[in-house]
Amino acid sequence: MGLAEFTAELEAMRSAAATAFASAADVEALEAARVDFLGAKAGRLRAAQKGLGAVAKQDKPLAGKHFNEAKQAIEASFAAAQQRLASNGSAKRTGPAFDPTVPGTPLVLGHLHPITQTIDELTDIMGRLGFAVADGPEIEDEWHNFEALNIPLSHPARDPLENFYLSTAKAADPAGGKLKQAATSEPTLLLRSQTSTVQIRVMEKTPPPVRIIALGRVYRPDTADATHYPMFHQIEGLLIDRHVTMADLKTVLRLFASSYLGSDVRIRFRPSFFPFTEPSVEVDMSWNDGWLEFGGAGMVDPNVLRSVGYDPDEVSGFAFGLGVERLCMRRHAIDDIREFYKNDVRFLEQF
Amino acid sequence: MLISWDWLKTFAPLVCTPDELAVRLMMAGLNHEGTTAVGDDWAIDLEITSNRPDCLGHIGVAREAAVLFGLPLNIPPAAVKVTGSAVGSITKVTVHCPELCPRYTARVIRGVKVGPSPAWLTKRLATIGVASINNIVDITNYVLMESSQPLHAFDLAKLAGPEIIVRAATQGEKLVAINHHTYELDAAMCAIADARVPVALGGVMGGAVTEVSSATRDLLIEAAEFSPMSIRSTARKLNLHSDSSYRFERGVDPAGVDWASRRCCELILELAGGELAEGVIDSAAASEPLQPVTLRFAQLKRILGIDVDSDAARRILTALGCGEQSADRDNVIVVPPTWRRDLTREIDLVEEVARINGYDKIPEDVPVAMTASTRSPHDRVAEKVRRVLTAAGFNEALTPSVVTEDFSAPFSPWTDNPPLRCSVPVLRRADLLRRSLVPSLLESRRTNEALGNERIELFETARVYLPQGEALPREDLMLCVASGRSFVDVKGALEAVVASVHAAAEVASEDYEHPLFAAAACRLLLDGEPWGFLGELSKEGLTQFDLRENATVAEVRFGRLLEIARLVPKYAVVPAYPAIDRDLNFVVAESVRWSQLAATVRSAAGEHLERIEYRETYRNAKDPQLGKERKSLLLALRLRSHRGTLTGEEADAIREQIVAACQKQHAAELRA
Repeated sequence: MGLAEFTAELEAMRSAAATAFASAADVEALEAARVDFLGAKAGRLRAAQKGLGAVAKQDKPLAGKHFNEAKQAIEASFAAAQQRLASNGSAKRTGPAFDPTVPGTPLVLGHLHPITQTIDELTDIMGRLGFAVADGPEIEDEWHNFEALNIPLSHPARDPLENFYLSTAKAADPAGGKLKQAATSEPTLLLRSQTSTVQIRVMEKTPPPVRIIALGRVYRPDTADATHYPMFHQIEGLLIDRHVTMADLKTVLRLFASSYLGSDVRIRFRPSFFPFTEPSVEVDMSWNDGWLEFGGAGMVDPNVLRSVGYDPDEVSGFAFGLGVERLCMRRHAIDDIREFYKNDVRFLEQF
Repeated sequence: MLISWDWLKTFAPLVCTPDELAVRLMMAGLNHEGTTAVGDDWAIDLEITSNRPDCLGHIGVAREAAVLFGLPLNIPPAAVKVTGSAVGSITKVTVHCPELCPRYTARVIRGVKVGPSPAWLTKRLATIGVASINNIVDITNYVLMESSQPLHAFDLAKLAGPEIIVRAATQGEKLVAINHHTYELDAAMCAIADARVPVALGGVMGGAVTEVSSATRDLLIEAAEFSPMSIRSTARKLNLHSDSSYRFERGVDPAGVDWASRRCCELILELAGGELAEGVIDSAAASEPLQPVTLRFAQLKRILGIDVDSDAARRILTALGCGEQSADRDNVIVVPPTWRRDLTREIDLVEEVARINGYDKIPEDVPVAMTASTRSPHDRVAEKVRRVLTAAGFNEALTPSVVTEDFSAPFSPWTDNPPLRCSVPVLRRADLLRRSLVPSLLESRRTNEALGNERIELFETARVYLPQGEALPREDLMLCVASGRSFVDVKGALEAVVASVHAAAEVASEDYEHPLFAAAACRLLLDGEPWGFLGELSKEGLTQFDLRENATVAEVRFGRLLEIARLVPKYAVVPAYPAIDRDLNFVVAESVRWSQLAATVRSAAGEHLERIEYRETYRNAKDPQLGKERKSLLLALRLRSHRGTLTGEEADAIREQIVAACQKQHAAELRA
């Protein structure tokens, strides 16, 4: 037998074996094919090995090499077929079919209130700008809510109809006889109408510099409707130091707004009026080729600095305030402020 | 404030468009709300802040526009031709209450012809939404909208006697106003009266009896100043707000009173004829001149952060009407105009220069000094608490701080003092500051039940308001949970909260009875200190809050978590040797509690006890070993040594010690 003939035979066998092994549908068929090609007694490979003896002597080394290559290839295609049947054959053989499309075991997670999420985001941004969180009471006296903030008695903001004053009558006062005296010496209390009260409390206790944000619930008489609620959240920033200017204010607000919106925004100041700042401005941020109202701001009024014992010729500072609900509503396209306080779980679970 | 574009242009020769004007005004402090076409005119709606009553008239707005565009301001001289006899011979004014009415002026015109207004006048009024009545009333309205000084015209013949008496109203006195409503006055209100009765409510509204009608011939023109606070309270009390009260509440220009009176008479003579009596009755001496204010130029840079040329600053102040007294390199001293009573301090002048100069000139990219800021322990603990509870499937709720009487009374575990009360309800009927969050969260549960929601698992961290007899109440932060799950489920969630802030902290339970709660209720302690309350609602409790489904609530002090928190845990060496587990099933009397048995196990087991786990309580009255009086407690132990591998024999020995101790102290026997 010539070398070429022998090699062609090997090649034909190799390809036939590959086809037979690959097309074996089950273990039995594969076994039959194995016996046919690799069987120790009457396998075709064995027969071919016998044919090796008929090759001319000088061709033997090369023929032997070709034989070994064919043998390895056939064994490899058998092993591959075996693995193929082993990996998908087991499920077919035992029990019902597996359905990978059934849903996973539910993991029920709760959700943070969208107001909390907004506050967290804002405090996080301000924290990166160096503002630490300060806290103060929600029930305040007139000094902290008005007087110290440059809101004199004649100011309309102090009207009883603009605030939630607490009833002073103490019907159940066990002091009895001392009632009258107690009533006159007790300060008038009210639910704070702004978080600026916290500024005063912090500055009263802390010498400058001061760099804080205050946030929390504030209360103003408004009939609850889609855009008003008598209780809402404010976040307010305050920075007092030597040489603090309105340019610092504008810069901090630009960084703040850019962080919040995630893109570079510009800031616009429109003159406004607040008793505790002067100059006072409304702050807009650039958004989609227009301007979006952001909140109120200004340079802390010298009267406020004086009321906490600071010297307005020594230090200056700025303050700004934002309504959290308004920001949150705009961010999440919520169209009714009352949803925040209804606590319908179908609302809460959306955030 | 609605401004007529055509009208405005009579005071300043504007060459811009109404939109350009609106933008400039907005950027100088008069916020633009919108512009609408009215016929061939434009009505520009401007928001005027409470410090700028001078802009509640066209002249004030024109002045701002003139300053911004560098234009001259043309104000009519209001020169009147006097042809009649002396006003003092016709009428008299007596002011009994200068504190309510610091200034009252009167002029008299006789022989007017009341009729319709000319078209130009009705058109201007129509642009700004003022209806035409007759020429006299229209003129008073016109001058009001021009100058911001309110005016009133009385029919002189309808007055009982020629004298005007300005006095505090007597309690219960009545007035029928020109809107034909009857108002009952009180002693804090300013009445403009004739010899007998009030004929007008000073600064708020005129009376019907003396109003100008088609038969009116002789007029008394009032131009006055009323106390802002008194006008505000009068308008509020009577719920009667007018263009007039709106301006007096904010303060009028004392120097503008007489101008407005003359301007009104000028227009009446021109449009309705008649004869103006000579002179004016004026109840008050000229008002005190405004004090000069110094502006140090260096303050502009110090506050604004930009250089503003001192000459430019002086030009701005002068254009706004300030009278310059003196100026040098560093300072300028000015006397503010009478219509700007908001300008009394240096900072007020800084703001004027800033807003006219333009805030767009202030940069937004200056270097701001860096400062370190640390998250407060409070915020860090709050975040851990929220993380655990949301992982446990609770949604965070926010509920109002105020509750109704029905919701305040049922649960107040933190104080016996009555709740603080608002003078008016914050929300419908809710006027009490809450002393517990529990009622609020139960109400949210009810809301959700009513909406058909099934899984209602809520928590809230918020303040309660605890009156303590001193000035301010205590405001304690509480963590409240309201759940449809069981006592042990909620307890487990709370224990996980504790573990998240301090792994080794111990939650203990004590008996607690409250009508709101069923038997499954307790008082909670955290590391030995009072922490809060936990319980399943009793039937009565569910009924009280109108709840259909079972509920478990807990309220604990957030502050206690803060006290025990270990925000930076220290590493403990992970054990190198294997553990051995042993289960124990004890039969004990019903009176023996888990906490007692566990304490005995702990002390008997000694140092090798790594963990003791509660598995279950089993009761079966028919079981001979248990009967009705006994239960079995199954627990699992994990034993481990840090010094070597514990042998089975050692573990068994420990187990025997435990069994013996429990036998001795609790008569506990092993389950057969």
